[in-house]
Amino acid sequence: MRREIRYAVGSLRRGPVVRLVGWSVPEALPAAASGLVVARAVDDGFLAGRPLVGVGWLVGLVVMSAVGAVGTRMVFRRLGDLAEPFRDDLVRRVVGGALRHAVDGRGDDGAVARLTRQVEIVRDTYAGLLMAVRGFVVTVVGVVVGLLSVAPVVAALIVPPFLLGLVAFVGMLGLAARRQREAVLADERLAAAAGSVLAGARDITAAGTEEHAAAMVAGPVREQALAERRLAGVAALRTLCFAVGGWLPLLVVLFAGGWLVDRGLTAGTIMGGLTYVLFGLQPALQNLVSGVGGSGLRFVVTLGRILDATTVPPDPAPDRRPTDGHDLVLRGVTFAYGPHAEPVLRDLDLTVPAGAHLAVVGPSGIGKSTLASLLCGLLRPDAGTVTVGGVPTAELPPDRLAALRVLIPQEAYVFAGTVRENLTYLCQDDPADLDQAVAAVGAEDLVARLGGYAGEVRPAELSAGERQLLALVRAYLSPAPVAVLDEATCHLDPVAERRAEEAFAARGGTLVVIAHRTSSALRADRVLVLDGAGARYGDHETLAATSPLYRELVAAGRPAVRL
Amino acid sequence: MTTFGSIARHAGGWLPVIGAASLLGILGTLALPIVLGRAVDAIVSGVDGGLWLALAAGLVLLGVVVDLVDAFAGTACVAGTTAWLRERLVRHVLAAGDSGRRGFETGDLVGRVSGNAAEAAQAGPSLVTVGSAFLPPVGSLALLVYLDVWLAVAFLAGVALVALVLRAFTRRTASAVTAYLTTQGRLAGRLAESLAGARTIAAAGTLERERRRVLAPLGRLHEEGMRSWRVLATSAAQGAVVGPLVLVAVLVTGGFALHGGRITPGELFAASQYALLGAGLGGLTSVFARLARARAGAVRAGEVLAVPVFGHGSGELPAGPGRLELRGVTVRAGDAALLSDVDLDLPGGGSVAVVGRSGAGKSVLAALAARLRDPDEGVVLLDGVPLASLSHDALRGAVGCAFERPVLVGATVAEAVAPGAAAGDVEAAARAVHAHEFVSRLPHGYHTPLASAPMSGGERQRLGLARAWPAARLLVLDDATSSLDMVTESRISRTLTESGDRTRLVVTHRQSTAERADLVVWLEAGRVRAVAPHADLWTDQSYREVFA
Repeated sequence: MRREIRYAVGSLRRGPVVRLVGWSVPEALPAAASGLVVARAVDDGFLAGRPLVGVGWLVGLVVMSAVGAVGTRMVFRRLGDLAEPFRDDLVRRVVGGALRHAVDGRGDDGAVARLTRQVEIVRDTYAGLLMAVRGFVVTVVGVVVGLLSVAPVVAALIVPPFLLGLVAFVGMLGLAARRQREAVLADERLAAAAGSVLAGARDITAAGTEEHAAAMVAGPVREQALAERRLAGVAALRTLCFAVGGWLPLLVVLFAGGWLVDRGLTAGTIMGGLTYVLFGLQPALQNLVSGVGGSGLRFVVTLGRILDATTVPPDPAPDRRPTDGHDLVLRGVTFAYGPHAEPVLRDLDLTVPAGAHLAVVGPSGIGKSTLASLLCGLLRPDAGTVTVGGVPTAELPPDRLAALRVLIPQEAYVFAGTVRENLTYLCQDDPADLDQAVAAVGAEDLVARLGGYAGEVRPAELSAGERQLLALVRAYLSPAPVAVLDEATCHLDPVAERRAEEAFAARGGTLVVIAHRTSSALRADRVLVLDGAGARYGDHETLAATSPLYRELVAAGRPAVRL
Repeated sequence: MTTFGSIARHAGGWLPVIGAASLLGILGTLALPIVLGRAVDAIVSGVDGGLWLALAAGLVLLGVVVDLVDAFAGTACVAGTTAWLRERLVRHVLAAGDSGRRGFETGDLVGRVSGNAAEAAQAGPSLVTVGSAFLPPVGSLALLVYLDVWLAVAFLAGVALVALVLRAFTRRTASAVTAYLTTQGRLAGRLAESLAGARTIAAAGTLERERRRVLAPLGRLHEEGMRSWRVLATSAAQGAVVGPLVLVAVLVTGGFALHGGRITPGELFAASQYALLGAGLGGLTSVFARLARARAGAVRAGEVLAVPVFGHGSGELPAGPGRLELRGVTVRAGDAALLSDVDLDLPGGGSVAVVGRSGAGKSVLAALAARLRDPDEGVVLLDGVPLASLSHDALRGAVGCAFERPVLVGATVAEAVAPGAAAGDVEAAARAVHAHEFVSRLPHGYHTPLASAPMSGGERQRLGLARAWPAARLLVLDDATSSLDMVTESRISRTLTESGDRTRLVVTHRQSTAERADLVVWLEAGRVRAVAPHADLWTDQSYREVFA
């Protein structure tokens, strides 16, 4: 909870806070004056036989309400000055964190929901919390001043029990926050369990595992119900705090009433004091209890989840060693997806000299994409080294890696923007040979259909193949000498695939093709065959003679057909 | 009985407690101002007010106790009912099988189980509160009339004014909020795009540029946000002006009554509190909103519960080769027939390929064979016994089904393959479908949590196959190897042939798979066009076009 409170308090900028508190003073005027007005209207007006004086006091209260309304108006505007920048910061944080995690290969499904739902919850509760705390402080100060001006002795009776209730409430906040967090987590676990079971209803029926599936949901359902019941305890504690802080002062004044009258206090004064309790302190405490106890806890819990999900590690110090050429060299590379996992690649040696054209083939799931990620420096090997131009890829900063090699993954990235923006994404300057690149890859028709280079791209309206064509043109235009196509043409038909691959072969520089069809291997000047046990490296003829798996793949004709 | 009624009834024993507490609480609240007024009068006039003071203390204490009871009983009632309804919903969907989800998106179903169930569980308490919610405002008004009829008139005039202002407020806020949400949606859309292209962005080192691109609409969002605060500020200011008018109107009227000797100072004090209590009239809307939400939640839960459940018989399967028969089977979806009058008699122990263009009814046939649904007409028999007459365990022990896009359910990979099975059995099934190799490369092998086991379509399919593998007599593969490369597929197919004489019903688009099958069922527009070996059918031009 401390971290969240620190974050919230740290976000309060001095100027807007001062203005917010400043405008709160007129806003609190009606509450501060209410008891005094009632006391005077009764004592000096209605009971003194001068009803017009009484009415005058009450009209004064209406005037003060008008002044208070101006304060209210300005308070809400100043609230925007605090809440909007706070939201802006959170949006930046969520977007930055989500992108950073995604490029580190740790993307999660919750990022967009975090941006739309959780940030809004935090924004609303942040504003609500500011209003509740500020309103409470200002009203209480106003009421105490008012009480002192009506009768200091009444103030002395009212304030101590009120403070007692307040302190008790603040004291239980930690417990309340813990229970609230438990309830939120229980909710999320329930939704996750229900989601996985309901999505698999067909499969569960087929496997006959209905009981197991029902049990998977029943546990979280019971935990959630328990968490709700535990929250009821917190609500009960809040009720008790309000009883002490809100009702005890009233009873104290009543029981001391006789003694007060003996000391010369009038009916109006006692009514004024009670008015302050009922119309000033009780609503203020009620708002604080529900504001802090309700939306405040929601604020802390939701903000905590955002902070957890968006904390990013600092960037490692970049390697500034100069590279020499762009030979790709793997030495004794071993990689596994976890400490207990069987390695995907074991002790792999591979040299791809500058200008070579390599095809990587093998059954699906054998680790071809992992190899592409290692070559491109997106993954670090557990043992051995991957170097480009003599420098380990995993140690080069992203911008220098990007200048050396370009990776086109299977899932092509296309964003809302013009065709030109999408195509020149990897270029430093506007390239002169845009037409040539589009023609070489075979995307003329697509570009024309999208309305030329100035046409707007709407990613959702493009087919997977069209997205791949745009990504291929983009990569073709990249200044990087090494191109790695990781099944980048899998949604193209064989003819279009051939055209694109030949364009990259003619582009100059090194070409590595993670093959989707064996035909890719026939076009390459060297082939790497990956099989769980090991790897074989050579040209087509050698492998056809020595590798049974390669023969099998070629015979199957269409390896790795995906639907 | 309606769902709402049955949910309200489930709350059962708690409702009288909640109702009694709420009634007592309201009566106490209504009595308190008068009692406080009498106490004040007694104090001022110097007579002994001990009785009134004790009564006031008693009423305050009653209010606290009632709040405590409400907190515990209300929560216990709602939490219990929610849990009961949630389990019932999930079990119902599972018992309804594939059709249990028909027409419902998964997200929608989750929403009904997690959100709507909790709302529906308010059914009982919300009925009780609606019953008692009229009491405070009506009672306050009645007590104002009792104190002095003009107090009530002044009060009503003030309340009417407040209501007018609040109406205007709701409309203005709505338009400001819409503009804000539109901009926010644009920002979220950009983030979703970039996340989908994470690997490209990682390789290109363009993280910072993407951040700027996604955040471009933030300035606009800020402006829309500020606009919504300005709207709120105006409305709040109006509320602050008119809010105290009710109180002042009552106090002025009461002041003259006090001056005229019609009421005492204590009664004036009581009147001011009734003005406050009565203004809670607006609170009635929230009570009705709660009832409306409970009703809507119950309706949405009821829609799920209305999906028919298909039961199981108690029959066992006699010994047999796994012969599959369909007699006069018709399946409809609305007016359209998915399968029309299909008769098939497939011998046991062999492999049967089901081919046809998309929409021919292949998957429906597979679903019938695995009893994921029942035909609208006709009967499906395994070794002479109707599938519908088999007990749950007999049916699922004999028949297995794997899918093109399997959904894996379970905490870990092992649990997704076979919950509760011995580790050796899970591994054997995985080895049979060539899944063992990639499972052992996962961070914790078979114990890897599903959530942290990224898998390709082909890997998922293999686990789906492993799950169906233990079926003793009939294995239905609904395009279940479509994402595998040819080599892996033919290896699995070999294991399948060698692993005993189970009947295999294989829906496929691949010519090579049809070639390997003993028999091909060729479907066209929901009817059986031919049943024959692939080689015999191959001479037919339109058969060859199925694989084009």
